[in-house]
Amino acid sequence: MAELVAAEMVANVHSVAVSVGDQVDAGATLLILESMKMEIPVLCEDGGLVSEVKVGPGDVVQEGDVLVVLS
Amino acid sequence: MTALADRPASSKPTATKPPRDEDPRNPKHRLAALFDEGSLELISADDLSGMLAAVGTVQGTPAVAFCSDATVMGGAMGADGCRVVVEAYERALADGVPIIGLWHSGGARLPEGVLSLHAVGQIFAVMTRASGKIPQLSVVLGPAAGGGAYGPALTDIVIMGPEGRVFVTGPEVVRSVTGEDVDMLRLGGPEPHGRRSGVVHVVASTEREALDRARTLGSLLGAQGTLDAEAVADRDLGVHFPESAKRAYDVHPIVSDLLDDEDGIELHPRWAPNITTTLGRFGGRTVGVIANNPLRLGGCLDSTSAEKAARFVRMCDAFGVPLLVIVDVPGYLPGVGQEWDGVVRRGAKLLHAFAEATVPRVTLVTRKVYGGAYIAMNSRALGATRVFAWPTAEVAVMGAVAAVRILHRRKLAEVAPEVRPQVEAELAEEHQRITGSLDRAIEIGVIDEVITPENTRSALAAAIAAAPAGQRGSHGNIPL
Repeated sequence: MAELVAAEMVANVHSVAVSVGDQVDAGATLLILESMKMEIPVLCEDGGLVSEVKVGPGDVVQEGDVLVVLS
Repeated sequence: MTALADRPASSKPTATKPPRDEDPRNPKHRLAALFDEGSLELISADDLSGMLAAVGTVQGTPAVAFCSDATVMGGAMGADGCRVVVEAYERALADGVPIIGLWHSGGARLPEGVLSLHAVGQIFAVMTRASGKIPQLSVVLGPAAGGGAYGPALTDIVIMGPEGRVFVTGPEVVRSVTGEDVDMLRLGGPEPHGRRSGVVHVVASTEREALDRARTLGSLLGAQGTLDAEAVADRDLGVHFPESAKRAYDVHPIVSDLLDDEDGIELHPRWAPNITTTLGRFGGRTVGVIANNPLRLGGCLDSTSAEKAARFVRMCDAFGVPLLVIVDVPGYLPGVGQEWDGVVRRGAKLLHAFAEATVPRVTLVTRKVYGGAYIAMNSRALGATRVFAWPTAEVAVMGAVAAVRILHRRKLAEVAPEVRPQVEAELAEEHQRITGSLDRAIEIGVIDEVITPENTRSALAAAIAAAPAGQRGSHGNIPL
């Protein structure tokens, strides 16, 4: 089952730490968002295979936007 | 199952159920599993009333408990069963001990009609009367619908086992009225209530674990102990912080290191995770720890987290549990959604909760505290017992760079873009010196003392130990 990792809040994408095809463990940093003058890591909840990365550095994301798809 | 053949009633459709005595859902077994071995003593008749009550000890702490009888009419509540609960409450109030309710009930008994509704209402009334006087814990072990849902909801802490389901109207009614097709799990299971609604404080993966959590919480609230400041050894809490002040981090290891080695119990870990609320022991004494978690929403306060923290503060105050408030907060979460969601009304609850609290409550600013969130996080103005800050902490209306961008908008617009960051930094440094420095905060008395991450534990312990003991708020704990 695919796990959609979504943005919790409006933010700029600071950097992306994974690419399609990466195997990631629970707790791994997927990307870093920048909001409220803070760099906020987005962590992987359950682990899985990165099947899609929907954003890149500099993108502005809204609350609920899907950032990464894991399978 | 061979015994079935010997039973005269084996031809009935209910014959596939194990005999009542052997049924694991029998309240006698559940109460025995809750209490310390051999401590259980029934205080109600073991009959078909639908409820069973007992006294005993949990981790050595005296407590009263009652349990729905899921073997009779799905645990439905009638006049007799409700009387058992009300009497259990009278006993707990008289003894001044925690009361633990184990729930598995479809709600009011239909055949008894309005009489059963009246009886369930009497449970709600006695729960409210006991609110803030004795700790009330609920463990939801099976479906708890209608009256069975509001019973737990009125108590201080709700624990849910894997089979627990809480809802006002079940899937069938939902389907017939709204057309929404939903099962009990998705409607009122651990996931929706642990993450979305905030109804459940603690989600457990087995029934055993759910009962163990209730035992630990019963001991934390019922036998709080006294703080031995000498026993609080220092350890460097700074090791959990990232080098960059801008980088978010998970606050859990800090809370865990702050508390004694035995694990505390975090309440509402997945609901409003941008603030954490944990009961644990500190120098042997029960304390409540409230900490912003920068990893989630940057640690911003928002309407849900303010409400979560407010309820926790009021619960701790009602039971005389001192508070440690660990602060690193960039402000309130901005947005239309927040304003329309009532961040003003719900945020006001946190101001009210702290300002009225009479327990010792000590604040530590680790990295930064800005704006309105500064006031809300147990500031001096709201009556903090003592306010500490680490040497690099920033206390201000907003971050220095953001402030000078507003204060010096015109001046900055006039300088060439390539030198603007340089000018900004200079202005920010000056601004910081005049308004936002720690020295200034100490000078006006809103920060009492600067302490280091290495001596934080002993400083907090000394501050709580120096506060008058035995203070507690005289108010109920309405489920905010």
